[in-house]
Amino acid sequence: MTALWIAIGVWLAAWALNVWLSASPISQTRLGKLLVPLVFGATVLVLWEGLVRGLGVAPVILPAPSAIAAKIAVSLPILWQDFAQTILKGAIPGFLIGAGAAFLVAIAIDRSPFLQRGLLPIGNFVAALPIVGLAPILVMWFGFDWQSKAAVVVVMVFFPMLVNIVAGLQASERMQRDLMATWGASYVQTLVKLRLPAAMPFVFNGLKIASTLALIGAIVAEFFGSPVYGMGFRISTEVGRLGLDMVWAEIAVAALAGSALYGLIALIERWVTFWHPSQRH
Amino acid sequence: MKRLLTAAFLASMASGASAEDVKLQLKWVTQAQFAGYYVAKDKGFYEEEGLNVTILPGGPDIAPTQVIAGGGADVIVEWMPAALAAREKGLPLVNIAQPFAKSGMMLTCLAETGIKEPKDFADKTLGVWFFGNEYPFLSWMSQLGFKTDGSPGGVTVLKQGFNVDPLLQKQAACISTMTYNEYWQVIDAGIKPEDLVTFKYEDQGVATLEDGLYVLEDRLADPAFQETMVKFVRASMKGWKYAEENPDEAAMIVLENDQTGAQTEQHQKRMMGEIAKLTAGSNGALDVAAAEQTVATLLAGGSDPVITKAPEGAWTSVITDKALAN
Amino acid sequence: MNRALPVLTVLTGIVVIWYAAAVWMNAAWVFDQAQRAGQEVTWAEVIPQTMDQPRPLLPPPHQVGAELWKGLFDQAVTSKRSLVYHGIVTLKGTMMGFGLGIVVGVLLAMAIVRFRVMDLSVMPWAIISQTVPIVALAPMIITVSSQLGLSGRDVPKAVIAAYLSFFPVLVSMVKGLRSPDQMQLDLLKTYGAGEAATFLKLRLPASMPYFFASLKVAVAASLVGTIVGELPTGAIEGLGARMLIGSQFGEPLIMWAALFAAAILAGLLILVVGMVERLARRRMGVPA
Repeated sequence: MTALWIAIGVWLAAWALNVWLSASPISQTRLGKLLVPLVFGATVLVLWEGLVRGLGVAPVILPAPSAIAAKIAVSLPILWQDFAQTILKGAIPGFLIGAGAAFLVAIAIDRSPFLQRGLLPIGNFVAALPIVGLAPILVMWFGFDWQSKAAVVVVMVFFPMLVNIVAGLQASERMQRDLMATWGASYVQTLVKLRLPAAMPFVFNGLKIASTLALIGAIVAEFFGSPVYGMGFRISTEVGRLGLDMVWAEIAVAALAGSALYGLIALIERWVTFWHPSQRH
Repeated sequence: MKRLLTAAFLASMASGASAEDVKLQLKWVTQAQFAGYYVAKDKGFYEEEGLNVTILPGGPDIAPTQVIAGGGADVIVEWMPAALAAREKGLPLVNIAQPFAKSGMMLTCLAETGIKEPKDFADKTLGVWFFGNEYPFLSWMSQLGFKTDGSPGGVTVLKQGFNVDPLLQKQAACISTMTYNEYWQVIDAGIKPEDLVTFKYEDQGVATLEDGLYVLEDRLADPAFQETMVKFVRASMKGWKYAEENPDEAAMIVLENDQTGAQTEQHQKRMMGEIAKLTAGSNGALDVAAAEQTVATLLAGGSDPVITKAPEGAWTSVITDKALAN
Repeated sequence: MNRALPVLTVLTGIVVIWYAAAVWMNAAWVFDQAQRAGQEVTWAEVIPQTMDQPRPLLPPPHQVGAELWKGLFDQAVTSKRSLVYHGIVTLKGTMMGFGLGIVVGVLLAMAIVRFRVMDLSVMPWAIISQTVPIVALAPMIITVSSQLGLSGRDVPKAVIAAYLSFFPVLVSMVKGLRSPDQMQLDLLKTYGAGEAATFLKLRLPASMPYFFASLKVAVAASLVGTIVGELPTGAIEGLGARMLIGSQFGEPLIMWAALFAAAILAGLLILVVGMVERLARRRMGVPA
């Protein structure tokens, strides 16, 4: 029980520290903005550890963070192999192909308001569908290796991206477009110089949504057949073997990969759309 | 549905507070593989013993061992390799009864791949189930001397999903099938038996015990729990024997209990027929020789063995001795 | 008419492509069978045979439509074989998750806007939480909730659905609660309004358009969560469970019908949320 009380004590102390930190000028600096969530994350881990130890939770139900960390340390090669299979071969190519295809389709139908009016409602609808249900079908079509995982990701990513890009291409204002016209700008020039940059906030919004979808899609698809490596394979197999520490190790990798992808997109967004009000603060 | 509800309601009224609650976690979805338990429930065999049994269907993400560890079930249906592996991981599971005398597992191959005997597996792709079901396969391969990492001269393993598509789409030369289920799906898909080559684990000497009943060791020390389990096993075996004798009726009872409503009569009747062949000859008591063979098979599992040493106390006849006494 | 024509054109295009793909994908099987039987077949003979296979690689639209019709209308809605029945099961899980997601999302957003420490420490983790593949957590959620004495599958399903649906609500509400500008806040200050009054009279009403916009996303996410929760975790009832059984028993038609039933459900949910939004806007005096 003492472990639990210590953990709760640490948690309260850390929370007080965070309250103080965020009220102090430190929180305005970049360091402070990083420090506060890190302290919060660390206390959650301490509390978790304390709960597991204090209440004697069986490791086959919920392993302690220390046990998970130990597992990660000894299984780096396996984790890397799984990461390469699921993220590098499945999720990222699927993400790029899906987003790229959506971009091309959006440009292709840009000059046809008729097609846009036809595709947009359907795209909006499909974007809201539980595409994940297609996973078993796509595994049947594209086989067991990463191709089927990438295919699931492509389908999951395509429609949210399409909807966002089409909406983005309509985001420039009438006045701005008229101005381009008075300068004698061609369609392509208007597209490249005005409308695409104006669409970027929407595009990045779509990319952020798509990045989390990509991970979920690639992992779920592995439940329906895979080679004997990959994050989804490992998770489902290790649950069956009661290797919960390994399951959590994979979850940690997935969270890390997802956050990295999200962070990267946010970084590029800041760089590309520096002019947008939401970035100016 | 309404009639069923009323019946259940009346049953719960009749048994009242004196009924002993038992939660049974199945290994997979509701199907004839578990007919004995559904028959025992529907035919009132559990009720006669004063038991109130809840049957919890499984699924691809549900490990019965984890459910029982979390207190979500009192007794589980599990394969012995997975149970022994869990025991080594510190979850003290004990086999209290073994309604399945034989293993139904086999490898089914397309004849056109040229596979005639196990040594032809070299450099072929084989489909295997994971989630605790891969152990017998891995042991077998290591006994044959095949590496399973896809290196030349070994075999390439893929994790097959829940259906036989890998064989139909020719993504694998062989896939794992159960005599009572997937094999017939291959046949249903239009492939003739003569186009298939099958290797039963039973014939290859690498069979492991399937579908036994397992409980936690520490709870077994409690005489009241023991008594409940004696009643449970007795009623379950009565259910199994009834199902063997009346396979069609048993299949319909299973169908009645399938909440997804997606199972078909044709599948379940056929499955029941095949299941009856596996349960025939078991009165519920574990055949210790078969259990020891399971252990031997698993210990032979090469570089990454499922279990590292022979387990002690992983099965007991305490329950079946009493259950079968009268 | 002006709006229906383009949509119909695109839909027709999709159906045509679908039929072509069905012929192309299902033909392989016909050729294979003919080869096993030692026969020669021509394309003219193949095409009709691709239209009504019991286990097609890609069922043509009319087959899916027939199966869907059978599931929706040819059964009593209380029957386990009725897609309406399973749709209701899934709907229940979706609504529970949706409700839970809204409550969690709104409460968190309020705390984040009010307390800087919450903003700094919780917001980044809320984003990270969405990058965790929820399916990986599903078995854990089931065991933990069964240990808490909730043995049904409803609660775990709702938790998974809520996990996916709280996020869009949270993000939009934070944006919405912060949308009043300094001038408006200053005005309330000159009225001597306290924190509670500012919240109730300014921040909350100002956040409503954001709130309703997020609901559409959240309800769709909740449906995905429910189906994911039904699919691998104890296939008992619901559209997700039927997809799994369809996959396991090699009955693609069951799977496709469940998929389309889920699509219809998604469409209805979005329609209803849209109607609620319009109603609320009208009552709040926003021109539609």
